[in-house]
Amino acid sequence: MANLLDKAREMMISRRKFLGLSATAATGAALLTLPGCGLSKLDANEATALANKEGTWISAACWHNCGGRCLNKALVVDGVVIRQKTDDTHEDSPDYPQQRGCLRGRAQRQQVFGADRLKYPMKRKHWQPGGGDKSLRGKDEWERISWDEALTYIADELKRVKKDYGNRSILHIGGWNSQITEMSRTLGLYGGYTEYWNTNSFGSWSMTPKTVGFWQLGVWDQTVNDRYDLRNCDTIIMLSMNPAWSAMGSSSWHYWQAKKAGAKFIGIDPYYNSTYSSFGAEWVPIRPSTDTVLLLALAYVLLTQDHPVLNPLIDWEFLNKCTIGFDADHMPEGEDPKGNFKDYILGTYDGLPKTPEWASEICGVDKVQIEQLALEFGKNKKVAFLCGMASARTRNADNLPQLIMTIGAMTGHMGKSGHMTGSTMHATSGNGGPALVNAGSNGLPGIANPIDDTINANQIWDAVLDGKYNFTGKGSFVSADQYQPGKMRDIDIHIIYHSGGAILQTSDGMTKGIEAHRKVDLVVSHSQFLTTNSKYADIVLPVTTEWEKFGGFLGGTLVHSGNREMILMYSQITEPLYEAKSDQWIAMEIAKKLGIKEKEVYPFGEKQQFFNALSSITVVNEDGETYGPLVTITQEDIDKLGVTGKPQTGKITYSEFKEKGVYQVKRYQGDNYGYIAFKDFVQDPENNKLSSESGKLEIYSKKLADTINNMGFSKIKPIPSYIKVVGGYEDTFKDWGNKVKDEYPYQVITPHYLRRSHTVFDNVKWLQEAWVNPVYLNTKDAADNGIAEGDTVLITSAYGKILRKACLTECMRPGVIALPHGAWVDIDEKTGVDTGGADNILSGQVPTGQGVSGFNTGIVKIEKHIQTKLIPDVEKPARIIL
Amino acid sequence: MGKLGFYFDMEACIGCRTCQMACKDKNNSDINVLFRRVKSFETGVYPKPDAYNYSGSCNHCSEAKCVQGCPTGAMHYAEDGTVQQNKDKCIGCQYCVWNCPYGAPQYIEKSGVVGKCDSCKDLRDNGENPACVNACIMRILHFGDLDELKQKYGPNLVNELPILPIASVTQPSLVVKPKSCSSDRNYREKEV
Repeated sequence: MANLLDKAREMMISRRKFLGLSATAATGAALLTLPGCGLSKLDANEATALANKEGTWISAACWHNCGGRCLNKALVVDGVVIRQKTDDTHEDSPDYPQQRGCLRGRAQRQQVFGADRLKYPMKRKHWQPGGGDKSLRGKDEWERISWDEALTYIADELKRVKKDYGNRSILHIGGWNSQITEMSRTLGLYGGYTEYWNTNSFGSWSMTPKTVGFWQLGVWDQTVNDRYDLRNCDTIIMLSMNPAWSAMGSSSWHYWQAKKAGAKFIGIDPYYNSTYSSFGAEWVPIRPSTDTVLLLALAYVLLTQDHPVLNPLIDWEFLNKCTIGFDADHMPEGEDPKGNFKDYILGTYDGLPKTPEWASEICGVDKVQIEQLALEFGKNKKVAFLCGMASARTRNADNLPQLIMTIGAMTGHMGKSGHMTGSTMHATSGNGGPALVNAGSNGLPGIANPIDDTINANQIWDAVLDGKYNFTGKGSFVSADQYQPGKMRDIDIHIIYHSGGAILQTSDGMTKGIEAHRKVDLVVSHSQFLTTNSKYADIVLPVTTEWEKFGGFLGGTLVHSGNREMILMYSQITEPLYEAKSDQWIAMEIAKKLGIKEKEVYPFGEKQQFFNALSSITVVNEDGETYGPLVTITQEDIDKLGVTGKPQTGKITYSEFKEKGVYQVKRYQGDNYGYIAFKDFVQDPENNKLSSESGKLEIYSKKLADTINNMGFSKIKPIPSYIKVVGGYEDTFKDWGNKVKDEYPYQVITPHYLRRSHTVFDNVKWLQEAWVNPVYLNTKDAADNGIAEGDTVLITSAYGKILRKACLTECMRPGVIALPHGAWVDIDEKTGVDTGGADNILSGQVPTGQGVSGFNTGIVKIEKHIQTKLIPDVEKPARIIL
Repeated sequence: MGKLGFYFDMEACIGCRTCQMACKDKNNSDINVLFRRVKSFETGVYPKPDAYNYSGSCNHCSEAKCVQGCPTGAMHYAEDGTVQQNKDKCIGCQYCVWNCPYGAPQYIEKSGVVGKCDSCKDLRDNGENPACVNACIMRILHFGDLDELKQKYGPNLVNELPILPIASVTQPSLVVKPKSCSSDRNYREKEV
């Protein structure tokens, strides 16, 4: 690093590239923590000089899976980014808010120009074709190699493995879906690859909602009304959600408008988090993985205390008209009437009424509080019953979305202003409704994967190690084809190819994952830093960030992309840093080495793709129903871009869009853009059928039960019912009856954390300083284990050990610890203990139900650790390689 | 016309630290240097805990101890009444660091001088807001004429809290809309 500029000069790189490098120098000044970084002397003067010059604000990508989607701008002076800002393109108001970004976006330049950016293609020293010394993965030295060497190694290994073992032995992982990355094109054309699938953030919301009819606008989290209507609620009941940490952008501000309008907040959660404390929520402290039990008891209270005149709690008309399976009179044809939900709740046939007393023993909520909570749902109040998906990222929770729907249906909180029920998360949190701006398409034809092998996250590493897995179809978690009857298959993986994502870090069972990575012949990883995927790889390819690309778009769809009201366009901030290349370039070059024609992979280039996406964006018209093109494009624009296309007329010119970086539909009271979920259905269920087989909300769903039971991971019933959770609260005991605790007496949850977006940004020192990443312990639990504030805690599960500093808090439910999700693993090879605090070191590979990853189901023990001193993350040296 | 200062609505602060990061970005601050800093506090006990956040910076006090104690005149009042620092005059003696009860001036090892929040005077001179103000995703930080801020956001505003020094010492140009739990003297700061 010390002689980086000299190296740069030696390389005779272009002026623009040099300026990109200067930018690194400028931010290096801020990164005082860079050990041995000689650049700081250079840039103090340089930064001052630059600060006095005129610069240009360029719209900059902020592209992460962060729970927000916001406008980010970079002030570029002489090619160096000296400052950032967010949306100031229009006056700001609650009705028409600016798209303001969060602290992570503000630190984006620290990431892009970080001294720990990978500079060159690298090879692990002791790797050789076939694997070399595989045990050294994760601890070997790195050697710089040329792009040609790197791509040749990869292509040769792909050829060898394909010839010897077939395409099935190539495991290609691209984040949440193997088919979304550029390399899927090349590998698809090369005969295919084995895929990885998981339920990701969605847990049992992946498949259950569509099956039972709890589904609007083609997705699982648009069953809540729009943000204006949130202000009409009397009570907002939140089940395991924390928009303050997991939905940056304006979501928390939208909820605050409801608070200002008088809404009462209630939070059902093991952790009294920032959202609840900020909104003054009443807290219902529940144990993790026990929400089903609580909600069953709520149903019991509603049923037993409902009185049509004296205490009207249940909306019987709604149940009668809109649901099936609630009671014996509304069971689907051919099913045993005794299997209905109401009789299950009352214990008519199993002799076990699901009373608050029964629930309290498991979920830990006081029975009186359960009764009070049930009354809050009463049908005559305007209630929003909202949840994130954290409670469904648990094992054996496949009926939970169905049960949330059932509670909403019982109390009639659907289809009307001020009433709503369902999950609401990420960039659309608190703001349901169809996208008012629809993203365009880059026009690239898809390339299919001829291989159908697809391995669930909960079996992926076991499959690599043991050679078998339960095949349940393919298509990723959003596809019905993924949930087919299970069949055991043999599999023999020889290559793990990470073309994106952070799956070794974010998938269940990282300890096994590392073992699996140390088994195969070759591990390839594309990345910008020495991420976990790359740390355990053999060949690492440095890829560009979005700031180094020509440009692109963010938002314009409802799923994990943006809020419904806007679309962002970003432009290039810098030339590619060092030798970084785009994923598309890599996919193309490897294709060429495999004998595949360039045009087969990409029939046209990145600029044409950009133009296609630009010209096909549509925006809603004032009627709130029809859509037209968004962008006005002239022949001059087309000529300047050097692309093929036709001029068109829209609502904003290309140049204005580029300059502003955002197009936002102006919302105002009385506009035509409001949204009441299920409105048409509730008014006329017969003519507005839902996605379930019956077209109604299915409190009894044979299809749900059959689908899951046939997959072969674990069993459920057609109605929401109590299932003992594998690795849940009951498993913290060796003697449940006498309440004698076992080896792992505490439950652990893994909340999203504002230092990072899943794993992204975890290496940024400014963010490490702002959020120190402790483990949260209830004060009493800590005292019971001799742990004081700031002590180092050793947390042990059946799967691994981690170290974190203790943050003692009264906001955690006793018996539960919270470990922030996404910290980069940092294993001390002498002890085998992870000093980074990676959540998935503690998790195991335990598939249940629809293949859910149970990130919030886990049991551990905690101990004070005095053997070694844990260095604060911010003081650890950055991972600067070469 | 009153003094210029910051308004902070503690009630709506979710503690995200975006203001802190915007400040860090604007000032290109090194690690361990935070001209604006968000701290998190907890009160009460399980199952009725409460929590609040405080976003603090230089309060541009009327009786600024940093100005009074500065031997070189580096710390001074600007024409608009805010407390500014002339870096060329700073000798890094750190009297201001010791004198300020709010911990606003911070010694920067690399340069050997002190730095602190200048309320983004360069931006304000251009008619813009301080970086932290325009960054806040809850829109609860404002900067301006304190009398006007009090009129707009009053009446229950304070300039001292159990977590803050007594206001009479320096007369901070600060108005805070407190959260009720922030009056609890039995608070605990948490490194979240």
